[in-house]
Amino acid sequence: MQWDRRAFIKLAVGGVLGVHASPLMWKLMDDSTIWTQNWSWVPVPEDGAVAYANVVNPQTGTGAKARLVQGRVDGTRAIRVEGNPEHPLSKGGVVPQDASALQLLYNTDIRVTAPLLRNRANGRYSKLSWPEALDILAGNLAEVSKQGKPEAIMALGHDPESATGQLLLCLMAALGSPNLAFTPNAGETLALAGLAMMGQTDLGFDLANADYVISFGTPLLENFGAPVATRKAFASWRGFPKNKGFLGQVESRASITASQADMWLACRPGTEGALALAMCTIMIQEGLYDQAAVKASFGFKDEGDFKGFKSFLLKNYRREQVAQMAGVPLEKLVKLTLGFAKAKRAVAVCGPGNSSDPGRMYDFMAVLALNALKGNIGKPGGVLVQDALPLKSIGSTSLRGNVRPLVDPAQGLDSNNPDALAKAALAGKPYAVKTLLLVGGNFVYNGPQAGVMEELARKTPFVVAMTPYLDESASVADLVLPTTHWLEGWGDSTSPYGSPVSCYGLHRPLIKAVPQAKDAGEVLLQVASRLGGKIAAALPYKNMEEVLMARTQAMGDFEQLVEQSFWVQAKPAYGPVKFQTPTGRFEFFSMGLFKLLSGRAGNPQALERMVAMMGVSGGLEAAFLPHWETPAAADDLGTGMPLLLTAVPSLRTTWGGDAITPYMVKVLPDTMLADMDKLVVEMNPQTAHELHLYEGDLIRIDSVAGSLTAKLSLFAGAAPGVVYAPVGLGHSAFGFQVEGKGMNFNRAAKVTTDPMSGLPVWELTAVSVEKVQG
Amino acid sequence: MSSHQQGKKQRSRADWILLFVGLVIGSAFGFWATPTILYAEKAQPLQFNHKLHLEQVSDSCKSCHTLREDGSFSGIPSVQSCKECHEAGSPMGDGANEAAFLEYIKKNQPIPWLVYSRQPDCVFFSHAAHTANAGLECAKCHGDHGETTKLRPYEYNRLTGYSRDIWGKGPIGLSGPPHRMKMDDCAKCHSENGVNRACFVCHK
Repeated sequence: MQWDRRAFIKLAVGGVLGVHASPLMWKLMDDSTIWTQNWSWVPVPEDGAVAYANVVNPQTGTGAKARLVQGRVDGTRAIRVEGNPEHPLSKGGVVPQDASALQLLYNTDIRVTAPLLRNRANGRYSKLSWPEALDILAGNLAEVSKQGKPEAIMALGHDPESATGQLLLCLMAALGSPNLAFTPNAGETLALAGLAMMGQTDLGFDLANADYVISFGTPLLENFGAPVATRKAFASWRGFPKNKGFLGQVESRASITASQADMWLACRPGTEGALALAMCTIMIQEGLYDQAAVKASFGFKDEGDFKGFKSFLLKNYRREQVAQMAGVPLEKLVKLTLGFAKAKRAVAVCGPGNSSDPGRMYDFMAVLALNALKGNIGKPGGVLVQDALPLKSIGSTSLRGNVRPLVDPAQGLDSNNPDALAKAALAGKPYAVKTLLLVGGNFVYNGPQAGVMEELARKTPFVVAMTPYLDESASVADLVLPTTHWLEGWGDSTSPYGSPVSCYGLHRPLIKAVPQAKDAGEVLLQVASRLGGKIAAALPYKNMEEVLMARTQAMGDFEQLVEQSFWVQAKPAYGPVKFQTPTGRFEFFSMGLFKLLSGRAGNPQALERMVAMMGVSGGLEAAFLPHWETPAAADDLGTGMPLLLTAVPSLRTTWGGDAITPYMVKVLPDTMLADMDKLVVEMNPQTAHELHLYEGDLIRIDSVAGSLTAKLSLFAGAAPGVVYAPVGLGHSAFGFQVEGKGMNFNRAAKVTTDPMSGLPVWELTAVSVEKVQG
Repeated sequence: MSSHQQGKKQRSRADWILLFVGLVIGSAFGFWATPTILYAEKAQPLQFNHKLHLEQVSDSCKSCHTLREDGSFSGIPSVQSCKECHEAGSPMGDGANEAAFLEYIKKNQPIPWLVYSRQPDCVFFSHAAHTANAGLECAKCHGDHGETTKLRPYEYNRLTGYSRDIWGKGPIGLSGPPHRMKMDDCAKCHSENGVNRACFVCHK
């Protein structure tokens, strides 16, 4: 036998065939396919006993159940957030933000896992231990206070009614700084309108029991109060073969709510309040109002020197005049009004507009007046007064002191205006701010007027962000403190906007928090403890569990409450409402407002000047009556800004709370986000034609606040002269699935102040539009 | 026959022998390498005597490997279950193993057992359906595991990470339960017993 090349090849071929005759190659191929099931980035949660725990999502107000797997080695892991059928309002439903909450919770790339200190020179972070971080924060607060100017400490928080918000109020009160504001919301405007006309602040709409609902620009199906509860109410109106309830939507755009409504009254943007007043006029002229309710009220007819609501309306809000101004067909307006007046259980709803701003107080008063004419106050399917939540005070929250606040509180009824506060701090007038505490709320993204908030954070010498995420606020903070997600820490939430009954939600640690995260409230407690003295005495709690225990002691057994996770008023408060107004009656003419402002002004001439300075149009005659104010943006239209910009909300995006999740980004339609990352704005085809713009054009939208670049979508359901932009997109943080998707509406929205409430509003902004070349 | 032709014939025979030799070597290598290269071993964190424990309990395997109230299978008992009989301060045996075990008990720390029969995550398997409803004995799939006096090393596939018990001990994986726990085995048993064998029954 000759050992040559030929022999070698024979042996090798035999060897290869032999290997193939064994299981080696086949098994390798099989295992290679199985290997693809086990890529390292595919999470494989540990198996274990399944348990469900009740929880209320403080961002959405949804009563949910967290499905937990109790892993033997890795500990408990949340697998899913599901609906809680036992929750009286949510009844087992969830919205996308609830369902996808775990995507933010478990994304360690976007979570803050340790206290971080940022070097302003190079933008780099270094990790700190908690004692070091707390020493730095407490040291700064002590130093600023020691210089005799505690007012140079400014704080922005998310929810003033929550335990964390209350602790922040306590801390600021103890420090002696009045410069504190929270994320503004429509609940405050409704409370002020209710206070002015009914002497009650906790109002709600009994949507589930109404058979005729008119919504004035409120996105009932996109973003209203607790969205799940609103959707459940909507579902109860729908039936077969005939709908059980009627929904009328007064809005400028064919939104989801408008498209689901039985009647859509397409008005010019910002005229919703005027239409509510025109409906009042029609009801009065047709004699279709509740005579008994009106007889028991104050200010309907002229009384002494005061002009009554009736004559004011008949003079200023004639149906033809308003219909023409709002651009709606008169017969449709009359039909909608007559249906409302004749329905058994009708309610008119006002609320956060599409941009989720607090809304305009006089619009809210107009809607309350319409409900009062219907005589539905305190009745099933009408406007209800919630029972007060049985919560105990956890400390002194009075910010009144000798220190002059940055923003004059006499400028409006409510001093919660983060925008005005930020602008005053930026101007350094009347004094400069040295330390800025951002406690949740991600103000640098959410604004109001996000650009101003970012500038403030960049210019303030020392900025602290307490946040669970490496969000936009964390990116400009000097000290970033990791706080817990609502599934891993203690916290609470109070009644969502417009809820007919008062509700309280609790959340507790269901899983182990990311390394080193603490409850935001606990951080405040520990800072207070380090500061010592009267500040430590003002916040005498060890942790959030203790705070919540003290706060909820009137709600019964704490352990049971924690287990249940919610407290809901047993039944709606039907029956005569106790109007706590100066006259003890429902006030169409707000004597309460009149007395308050008269007291501040001192004399009638000064009152007139004060009302004019606040920016209330119509003078003293209108100031205490529901009336319509021209939106501030309309005044800007002539200044080279020919269009209006407003928002498009969706349950698939968010505002104010946690950021949009990757899942929510995936389910966005092409009419909101196109080509992976381009914001899509809507415009009426006629308006586009006049501007020589076409479908798919890339355009730049400029306002005085900032600009947006977006792809144009022509939509016949959009009002002429308006640009509609989705909210909740355009993050510059939160990982590659969320970052850079679209642009941030809050960067372009101009924030103004509502003349009476003093709250910031940003529903409409004057803009110019230009095609982007190239 | 010319010498040239004779040489060619001899050569051809030798070639075939070489091919056969290669085939035998290649095949032997394959049969040797399949388990040797593909599988690795890990020792269990502790030793455990199933036989001894089975003699002490009244309800056979179910005494420790229970079904939970919701019907799901508890799998390997938790340290809390061990503590029903064992106490940190009072060893029931001796040696390093018992001392190490009592450390877990003392610290209330989960024991990171390696599970021989862990199916891939894409498989939904209900013990309740098979044992409580269909009346299958544990040994049908787990063999004499309950009779063993010590735990064998845990072998796992280096590529897939799965336990070797799923593929089975045999070199070409042609055995059946309890020596193998592959999808074919599930499907075969389902067919024999007239149980639905659609994909979604096991792959949720």
